[in-house]
Amino acid sequence: MHPTRRQVLVAGSALAAGGPAMAQGQPQRGGTLTVQLTSEQRVLNPAIQASTGVYVMASKIVEPLVDLDAQGEPVGVLAERWEGSADGLTHTFHLRRGVTWHDGKPFIAKDVQFSAMECWKKILNYGTTLYQFLEAVQTPDDHTAVFRFSKPMPQGLLLRALPDLGHVIPAHVYEGTDIRTNPANTAPVGTGPFVFKEYQRGQYLIAERNPNYWRGNGQPYLDRIVWRFISDRAAASAALESGQVQFSPYSGLALSDIARLSKDARYTVSTRGNEGNTAHTVMEMNLRRAELAKVEVRRALCHALDLGFFIENFLYGYAKLGTGPIPSSSAPFYVPRPAPYPFDKAKAERMLDDAGYKRPSRGAMRFVQPLKLLPAPWGEYTINFATFIQQSLREIGVRVEIEARDAPGFLTGVYRDHNFDLTTGWHQYRNDPAVSTTVWFRTGSPVGAPWTNQYGYNSPAMDRAIDVAATELDATKRKADYQDFVKLAVDDVPVHCAVEHAFISVYAKRLMGSHNTPRWSSSSWHDAWLAPA
Amino acid sequence: MSPALRAFLRSPAGILGVALLVLVLVAAASADWFFPRDPLSLAGRPLQWPGQNPRLLLGTDNLGRDIAGFICHGARVSLLIGLVATVVAVGLGTLVGAIAGFYGGWVDDALMRVTEAFQTVPNFILLLVLVAVFGSELEVITIAIGLVGWTAPCRLVRAEFMSLRTREYVLAARGLGVRDAGLIFREILPNALPPVIVYASVVMAVAILMESALAFLGLSDPNIASWGNMIGAGRSVLRTEWYVSAIPGVAILVTVLAFSLVGQGLNDALNPRLQAV
Repeated sequence: MHPTRRQVLVAGSALAAGGPAMAQGQPQRGGTLTVQLTSEQRVLNPAIQASTGVYVMASKIVEPLVDLDAQGEPVGVLAERWEGSADGLTHTFHLRRGVTWHDGKPFIAKDVQFSAMECWKKILNYGTTLYQFLEAVQTPDDHTAVFRFSKPMPQGLLLRALPDLGHVIPAHVYEGTDIRTNPANTAPVGTGPFVFKEYQRGQYLIAERNPNYWRGNGQPYLDRIVWRFISDRAAASAALESGQVQFSPYSGLALSDIARLSKDARYTVSTRGNEGNTAHTVMEMNLRRAELAKVEVRRALCHALDLGFFIENFLYGYAKLGTGPIPSSSAPFYVPRPAPYPFDKAKAERMLDDAGYKRPSRGAMRFVQPLKLLPAPWGEYTINFATFIQQSLREIGVRVEIEARDAPGFLTGVYRDHNFDLTTGWHQYRNDPAVSTTVWFRTGSPVGAPWTNQYGYNSPAMDRAIDVAATELDATKRKADYQDFVKLAVDDVPVHCAVEHAFISVYAKRLMGSHNTPRWSSSSWHDAWLAPA
Repeated sequence: MSPALRAFLRSPAGILGVALLVLVLVAAASADWFFPRDPLSLAGRPLQWPGQNPRLLLGTDNLGRDIAGFICHGARVSLLIGLVATVVAVGLGTLVGAIAGFYGGWVDDALMRVTEAFQTVPNFILLLVLVAVFGSELEVITIAIGLVGWTAPCRLVRAEFMSLRTREYVLAARGLGVRDAGLIFREILPNALPPVIVYASVVMAVAILMESALAFLGLSDPNIASWGNMIGAGRSVLRTEWYVSAIPGVAILVTVLAFSLVGQGLNDALNPRLQAV
């Protein structure tokens, strides 16, 4: 009647393994792919807003210079090839010829120059940090863009950042306008396989096949893509099961429904194709709170969490223990290490006793004021994790009060007003630690910038380690440098990277040519096709 | 035995209501005795079905909490919210309604415009605004629920006052030199109260439902064991483990039904038109 978790998981992984074998056969032209999204950001310009919620729609219309291939290696999209100078100060990109924008104008080097200097460097989140030493982009001819940096930029870092922070928008549409309010931000003009058709806020976005797409060979195969915004997770799974929707990306369904659908032969439920979008479910600790300023207290709180139990019973096993801010999926930078804070209740209690926070009496609470926990409202992972923290810390004599807020209230409460003691969150890793990971630990992020170090953590040693690694040109040395960063991050633990998980895709088996690259949901889908129903 | 009590006991609805209410009260009173653990704590593996584990009578929800313990502790929260919110709503409504109905004229006009201002905003929307502004602690929520529900008792009391203020016994009291306050609270109010008491049971049922609706949307105080909180948490597993939402749903049904039936019984007992001649 009700299968145990273990049965569900075994069934799920068996099906996931059976998926690729079915994805063979001759691609067929035609058909409409309908995709379910839980929320929309009302921006369709990936050159000014870096977020999976933007890429999942806009990257079919607007393309980056470089993407990642099936092995996770950089592969040219709008750039055909590239070379970097030995000192890391100059990077030359040779652009693809014969590419036209959806409005018929040719794609030229000036577009790259404009996107890089006006959007990536000045507006794009994460880009403002990554490109802060980008001095100029020179265009010796229409098909060459030369990036000049004032401090060394490792080529590997640049190439791994470009799939996310390297989308090119047309200069002739944006030049001389206010980029942030340009109407093309919600009606994008790109070079991609699909052409923007219609966007109805809160309802849907439609893009249609680009008949002049530069890849040719009949690509793209799909006639049209429709993104439907269905925020209610029960309604989303119903839409999938009734066949109205063929694909739900980024863990958009309730975990219980994901477990249920993984036993349904009509669907593939898998983390494959999302390796490049690994995220950590984290516990952030505000060091402005006197007790949490002591590193022993922060470590004790981490030891109190039985994360194995949490993963198996709350997350249906779709996750694993986090080992540090660089996830195990990041082959170029990950060095295997054990989970730093194994569950040990007695040790946690002892550490709090030693730190001077003894229980006033047996069974009493240790801190005078309870800890205020703001759960990130990003779905079950972060909300249930907040409850689990509350339950776990109570066992070691630390009372936690949860204050639920909506998304804007949460972001201002945590990242602008710093009005929290604990918070949960999702921190996403994007191919290289310097893209969007080290900003969680370095000082100097402006107050209010979301997903940055806003917990009052200030360590000169950490800042130095981050800066050294970001400008190191030797790949081997750079990897070693990042181990220093990981060690500091884990020892000081202002953020506990508790649980590592890839996003889960749920899609109808008839969706072919999909999930074949590490960040497939954010890629252009030029080779995706639908088998007959 | 007073005639009203006898009338109440003759009403089958009233008897059933009282029986259900006693059930809820017993659950609330015995919560600490049967379930000494914090109802929010992790009691075992999440999503165990009722009866699967003899230690956990009604199973566990998707956060590993003991549903039986949660229901009993939740009864306290629901009764507390219902009671306090009703006192706030009926107290405020009676005061404003009495003054408006007694004095009439511009006082009545002014107070009724204020009442209408509240009535034009849907109750639940107003409640959402209040919670968004003042936070979601239990005290705030309880008072906010009371504040959005005071207009109906207010109009009820005003209507009663308008019809009672010109009765002979009121005029007689006025002639004897009784002050306004005395007329309002000692002469008219006792005679205006029966419909308000009946209506109070409805207010109480609505208050419990409103808190549940807030909790269902994730906007109630997450640090208390409220039935709505559990229904909201169980929503994500509705297709597979429906009992997580269904059990607290039944608890709310029973409690709201109890108050409604008691109100029905009170109406039978206090309504002069239904009394045996």
